[in-house]
This record gives sequence, structure tokens and C-alpha cells, in this order.
Amino acid sequence: MTPFELAEPKTLKEAVGLLDADDPTVRPIAGGTALMLMMKAGVFRPSKLVSLRAIKELTSIEIVKGELTVGATTPLAVLEHSEAVRMHAPVITRALRTLSNIRVRNVATVGGALAHADPHMDLPPVLIALGARVVVQGRSGARTIPVADLFAGYFETVLAKDELIASLIVPAQDGRRAAYLKCTTRAVHDWPALGVAVSVAADGKAIKNASIVISAATETPMRMSAAEKAASGATDDAALRRAGDAAAAEAELISDGQGSAAYKKELVRVYVARALRAALGAA
Amino acid sequence: MRTIHFTLNDEAVSAQAAEHHSIVDVLRDRFDLFGARESCAQGLCGCCTVLVDGTAVSGCLYLAAFVDGKTVTTIEGLAQNGKLTPIQEAFLETGATQCGFCTPGFVLMAGQLLAAHPDPDDEEIRHYLSGNLCRCAAYPEIIAAVKLAAGKLRAGRL
Ligand SMILES: Cc1cc2nc3c(=O)[nH]c(=O)nc-3n(C[C@H](O)[C@H](O)[C@H](O)COP(=O)(O)OP(=O)(O)OC[C@H]3O[C@@H](n4cnc5c(N)ncnc54)[C@H](O)[C@@H]3O)c2cc1C
Ligand code: FES
Ligand code: FES
Repeated sequence: MTPFELAEPKTLKEAVGLLDADDPTVRPIAGGTALMLMMKAGVFRPSKLVSLRAIKELTSIEIVKGELTVGATTPLAVLEHSEAVRMHAPVITRALRTLSNIRVRNVATVGGALAHADPHMDLPPVLIALGARVVVQGRSGARTIPVADLFAGYFETVLAKDELIASLIVPAQDGRRAAYLKCTTRAVHDWPALGVAVSVAADGKAIKNASIVISAATETPMRMSAAEKAASGATDDAALRRAGDAAAAEAELISDGQGSAAYKKELVRVYVARALRAALGAA
Repeated sequence: MRTIHFTLNDEAVSAQAAEHHSIVDVLRDRFDLFGARESCAQGLCGCCTVLVDGTAVSGCLYLAAFVDGKTVTTIEGLAQNGKLTPIQEAFLETGATQCGFCTPGFVLMAGQLLAAHPDPDDEEIRHYLSGNLCRCAAYPEIIAAVKLAAGKLRAGRL
């Protein structure tokens, strides 16, 4: 790694002030797990890193007006073991168990897991399916962005270089049920070839208002609106498979080391139906 | 460069560290501690495991500057007055260490596992240790060592 400056502000406001809208070599660092890899590989050579680790106001998990609010520097392991998170959206707890390994989860943060914007990551599709949003702090104030609108492309977000994710908000789920499945093709701990997150309301046995998101096989996590329509009212396996077919038809898939686009199309077909089935059976 | 102050294996220490140095770099270059070693350098293998404030991290992905004011425990800090811990003894007794390159990481992670789950089943052991790789593939012996250690620790608590 090449030398850089390290700033350690104590408040969010101070941290935002140390960033630079026009300088891509200045970046925030939270857990550092993703940045360290990029710096070691030489794909990122910072002039200055602004550490968020000394900012106390960013590490809390609370229920505020029925919504789960998580500070951006909360470590993933804390999220994984939080009873409030498990009560609010158990799919997050389940997804975290298979996200990387314990040492990475001890250090990696919620903000980093969103801002890194690697399409293979697990939390973005899950949080999109749950209708979550982030509060983002900039020089002139805060704004709220749905996680669904956060990703601009491969490893790119819509955040300005002098904006920080301050918190994540997951709305009340009101009895909705959710599931996340990922498919790895080379080894269990490999990056997935496909991730599918779904959240459904169930009216008796019929699916209502499905939210279906696929990741890893696409440039950014994507909602599958045709599949969501097809899933509406679904009660049996044949209908769930039709939703899978719709997703396979609409998804814009990329070929890479984890599999060709043609192969992933078949994965989408099968996994969307499976995820819907899992959600119907889930808490 | 900056001076970092921390507690290393029960001793207050300070060291000069560059901002871009990892904790593994500092342990090796400033303290001659070689138990945490970089192998994959990507957070995958666990050979660089150290405990920061009692929590396991991959030292290869952890900036030394971030341990300022904290407590760091390495494999060298486990034995007290030359006496190995029950987990270390169990690794020796079951032959869970072959070349030994991965052993510090496995021993430290096993400590974390047994603190949270004093009587783990195979599934829990595999889950906890899935982020540690042993190139000699001593996995069956490692699982046996963890179980033996669990028994020793439970017996010690009675
Ligand atoms: C061995 C290994 C295995 C992994 N496996 C998985 C896996 O299976 N599934 C998965 O989903 N992920 C996986 N990851 C990725 C991991 O989830 C990310 O590295 C981690 O979430 C990043 O969080 P961090 O706090 O360490 O971010 P950092 O490395 O500190 O930062 C990452 C990026 O986010 C920016 N950033 C950080 N915090 C903020 C903020 N509050 N506001 C704005 N920008 C911010 C940084 O500037 C940087 O661009 C793996 C990583 C490793 C090292
Ligand atoms: S060297 Fe750090 S995890 Fe492999
Ligand atoms: S004993 Fe050789 S790598 Fe594990």
C-alpha cells in the first residue's frame, strides 16, 4: 500500500467537512475491509482517508416510530446479533450469517456494506426488498435515498464524494415475509453468481405486493417488476414458476467468472420461484 | 508516521506506525511477534487473526492506527507463565497442528467460539471456523481439538 494521510474526526459534521467533492483520492473509511483490499491491489491509492470510527453518533440500533434505525458505523456482527433486528426483519439476521466470515463481520460496517456498491454483496438486495432507505449527510444538510436508488453502476453509488451515509432505516414490515437466497457456483464462500431477495405480503395463501430483487448477476441490484406483477395473487407452484419465468425474461444479466449470462438466466428462473416459496414459508 | 499507544498481550506499549501499515506489519516489524502472519492478505484464511478489544479481526485488513487506545491479543499472549491454555493443549494432543502456519488463527477463533458456545456441535464449529483455512487440511483433527478443548474448559469451570 502507498502512504496516505489519516484523519479521525469525532463528529459527522467534521467528517463531511474533511471530504472533498472534487477529489476522488479522498475517501471515508469505516471498517476498512473493502478499502484495504482495493489499496493492497493498488486499484485505489488514496491521498487521505477520513476515518468514521471515532464518531460516536453513528453506532446505534433503535426502533424509532416502528422503524428500525441503524447507525452507519454499526459493525455487521452487531447487526447480526441484535434482537431488535431479528424481531424487525429476521431475513437480515439470516443473510448476515452467510455474509463473509466472522472476522470480516466483526469489522465491516453497515455504511461500508452499502457504499462499496459491489453488486455481489448480500445486504443491498435484502434491504431493497424490505423497502429500506438511507439518510445521507452532506455539507448543506441531510437527504434520504431509498436503497433501491442508491446504486448508479458497478461499484458506483449516487453519493457525492463529500456525502456520508449516516444511518439506515428499515420500515415496519407489517407481517410481510422475506427470504434471501444466494447461489455460489465454485465454492460455498465464493461470491455468488446470483442473489435473490424477496418480500411478500400474504393474503391467506395468495401473494400480494411482492418485492423481488436480484443481484450479483446484474450490474446493480435490480427490482424485477414484471416478475412482481406475475407473482401477484400467486397461490401455487405453477404461479411461482411463472414469476421465475418473468424474471428470467426481464433481467439484464452479465457474464463473468461465476457463470455466463445464459446460465444465470436459468438460475434466475429457478431461484426466484424458490425464494418466493421460501418467503411464504418464512417468518 | 504517528505514535500509537495500546495494550499488547497485557503490557502497555507504544510504537511508531505509518498510516498505511496494518497491525500485522507493526506486530512483526516493531515487536518481533510472528504468530499473526499474512498469508492470503484478503481476509479469507485467518492466519493473521488477532483479538482487538477481545474481538477477532483479520490483521491483514486492519490498519495499525485503529488499535490506538485498544487492547491487542496475539497467540503469543495466551500462555501464562509458560503454561499453555486448554485450547492450545488440545491442539497439541489431537495433532491438529501439522506445519503450524494456520494454528494461531484457529486457536484464537476456537477461543471466540468456545466463549460464545461452550458445548458446540459440528455445525457450529464449522460455521465459526469457516473463515480459517488450513493448507495441510488438518480439519478433522482441528474439529476434534475444539471438542476436546470444550470439554477441558467445561471441566475447569466446574
Ligand atoms: C474476505 C471477505 C469476504 C467478503 N464476503 C462478502 C460476502 O460474502 N457478502 C458480502 O455482502 N460482502 C462480502 N464482503 C464485503 C464486505 O461486506 C465489505 O468489505 C464491507 O461491508 C465493507 O464495509 P467496511 O465498513 O469495511 O467498508 P470500508 O472498506 O471502510 O469502505 C468501503 C467503501 O464504502 C465507503 N464508505 C464506508 N462507510 C461509508 C459511509 N458511512 N458513507 C459513505 N461511504 C462510506 C468507503 O469510502 C469505501 O468506498 C467480503 C469482504 C471480505 C474482505
Ligand atoms: S492473511 Fe489475513 S485473512 Fe489471510
Ligand atoms: S497445519 Fe499447515 S496450514 Fe494448517
